[in-house]
Amino acid sequence: MRAIINGKVYTMAGKVIEGGTILIEAGKIKAVGANLPLPHGTEIIDANHKHVMPGIVDAHTHIGIFEQGIGFEGADGNEMTNPATPHLRALDGINPMDPAFKGAVAGGITCLTVAPGSANVIGGTAVAIKTWGKLVDDMVVRDPIGLKIAFGENPKRVYSSQKKTPSTRMAVASILRENLVAARNYMEKMERAKEDEEKAPDRDLKLEVLVRVLKKEIPLRAHAHRADDITTAIRIAEEFDVDICIEHCTEGHLIADFLGEKKVAAMVGPTLGTRPKIELVNTSFSTPGILFRAGVKVALVSDHPVFPVEQLPIQAALVHKAGLPEEETLKAITINPAEIMGIHHRVGSIEPGKDADIIILNGHPFDWRTKVEKTLIDGEIVYER
Amino acid sequence: MSAKKMLAIINAEIHTIAQKEPIQGSILVEDGKIAAVGQVEIPAEADIIDAAGASVYPGFIDPHTHLGVSEQGMGWEGRDYNEITDPVTSQLRALDAINPMEDGFREAREAGITTVMVAPGSANILGGSTAVLKTGGGQLHQRVIKENAGMKAALGENPKRVYSGQKRIPSTRMGSAALLREALVNAQNYMHKIKRAGDDPEKMPPRDLKNEALIPVLKKEVPLRMHAHRADDIATAIRIAREFDIDMTLEHASEAHLILDRVVESGFSAIVGPSMGTPGKIETQNKTLEAVKILSEAGVTVALTTDHPVLDIYQLLHAAAAVVRETGMDEYQVLRLITINAARILGVDNRVGSIEVGKDADLVIFRGHPFDYLSTVMYTIIDGDIVYPPEA
Repeated sequence: MRAIINGKVYTMAGKVIEGGTILIEAGKIKAVGANLPLPHGTEIIDANHKHVMPGIVDAHTHIGIFEQGIGFEGADGNEMTNPATPHLRALDGINPMDPAFKGAVAGGITCLTVAPGSANVIGGTAVAIKTWGKLVDDMVVRDPIGLKIAFGENPKRVYSSQKKTPSTRMAVASILRENLVAARNYMEKMERAKEDEEKAPDRDLKLEVLVRVLKKEIPLRAHAHRADDITTAIRIAEEFDVDICIEHCTEGHLIADFLGEKKVAAMVGPTLGTRPKIELVNTSFSTPGILFRAGVKVALVSDHPVFPVEQLPIQAALVHKAGLPEEETLKAITINPAEIMGIHHRVGSIEPGKDADIIILNGHPFDWRTKVEKTLIDGEIVYER
Repeated sequence: MSAKKMLAIINAEIHTIAQKEPIQGSILVEDGKIAAVGQVEIPAEADIIDAAGASVYPGFIDPHTHLGVSEQGMGWEGRDYNEITDPVTSQLRALDAINPMEDGFREAREAGITTVMVAPGSANILGGSTAVLKTGGGQLHQRVIKENAGMKAALGENPKRVYSGQKRIPSTRMGSAALLREALVNAQNYMHKIKRAGDDPEKMPPRDLKNEALIPVLKKEVPLRMHAHRADDIATAIRIAREFDIDMTLEHASEAHLILDRVVESGFSAIVGPSMGTPGKIETQNKTLEAVKILSEAGVTVALTTDHPVLDIYQLLHAAAAVVRETGMDEYQVLRLITINAARILGVDNRVGSIEVGKDADLVIFRGHPFDYLSTVMYTIIDGDIVYPPEA
């Protein structure tokens, strides 16, 4: 048994608890509250009235598959040899020894999505992992959490330079539809074969993944910046009656009411950084606030290595300054991404039964002087300043 | 019936490897097999080698080489181990490309290495089947112990470097894993069709050599021999082996010690090396001789390799010596790495790897300690015949 005491606890599931205690047992949160009795022999971590919050969750990164500081050898996120590779799994490309993971725990980020890149229309499955460990299989919280797809400039730039389809937005949409149709055909054949085993099609790993999308076991995670691309993504999701969430959602504020009405979640970012592409010119810190007011669930993302994951709190502070309320901004880096990733029963808030992924900071997370003092994952201190 | 061909090695210090302490005495060889070891009555008709002052070891084994498929002292003409035109070439067989005249085999015999595994290279996700053979003593077909000792597979930098250069899959680790899974699923589909066809030739799928070559893997008759250096690649290899319930050996395994628990739990053996060359790639930066000790002490069956021609085949003994010198590992345990452990990993320990009655008479007689750079091999014997020195 371990306890964090004297914390200003932002549980993200109710009011801030002053002088709060969090009891941790076997890596899980056992209890949280003020004046909790401590069982005899409890190991104490005294927060000295500092800020305590759930570990930060980043819903969209490429840590470990675009490794820091090395070139080709560590570049494993974009299989630019075929625009439809649903059978690829981010899990198989992650190197837990990527130094970026050290940056993540030092920045208080304890859980994140690793997704394939956006070169392909269908890139492969994304995985939710903790940021601490040597063996990726042991770090997994949920796999897969969704199928990465991409719209807009990236797929058409990559494949037009190879003189292949897609070289236009029309073809991007068409490739996605074709693959979903092929998967539906496969699914129907499987159904028919239930009565007659002779009719069963050969097992096909590509179509198998898309069937999981069609059955709504996992959502499409659509990389889309421009409003027209976001709209196309939602159009296709509705045609096939599948779940979808929008990654980047850079021009989401231009169609906020539409997105609110469609109830799609948005993973906005990276908002820090330059705008090197046409589809990024309307990048704005006010997008998350506008989306929130339109009823959209928002998470903030670093897109590491596009922007370093440990700087997510800076992005959050600027988004808050541009109009997203403080509590909503904190939710956008904790419980909201956890919900979008389908792992909110494990992470994203300090509540009994959840994983003890907790950070202690020497000030408010949006204050420029604030540093993470301790990071706990599954109840273990994995970083200490 | 002709009289049995007999050879007796007398007055020897015999390191059987079956046990730690050497035996003083003789080894009697009949028709290429070990007939007796120890205090043996020597038949009058036996040829005699007096090994007084010398030591006898089982012939050494390198379980991962490209001998004869990547020929020394030649360019393109002798390079036959990487078919870099298709990342899945399970239908290829190393045996079809081995040139037994390659000088490396002579150097192996000279160094007391009597058994090697020859594998396709690591450019392809599935490179083809590997073969185990003696380094001398007859024509190629007579030397073969196992025509198919497992299917060579590869993850990490090599396949993605080769095929990204051709703008083909795999150009990422994700792509490599996906191709491997796909090939295994295709073979499962093929197997399923054959099973479903039963006795009905109409329903039998056309014979497919690519898929056929993977059936022994799926049936666990042979392992995937998986080239993997980095810990994440080893983890991916183990993940896929579990998904398909297949056997695997970890070849190179440069970072296996960094994920020791998972490797131990997998039950897979590790063929470590070449540990002495320069780490020329990102994925080999963490290679260390310490890994040999760490893995061995954790219960993993470990063998050493030169990866010839990456290191010259005779350096197998230098590598073993370096393990003792750098890690303090017990000498006997290190001798096991290049004898019985290698034999087990190759599935040929019923034939080679120790000096025991019934096994092949593959023996090496040393003047001096085998790890001593200055020691000399007096004789190398394969199947009871002296193969070194050649004039003997």
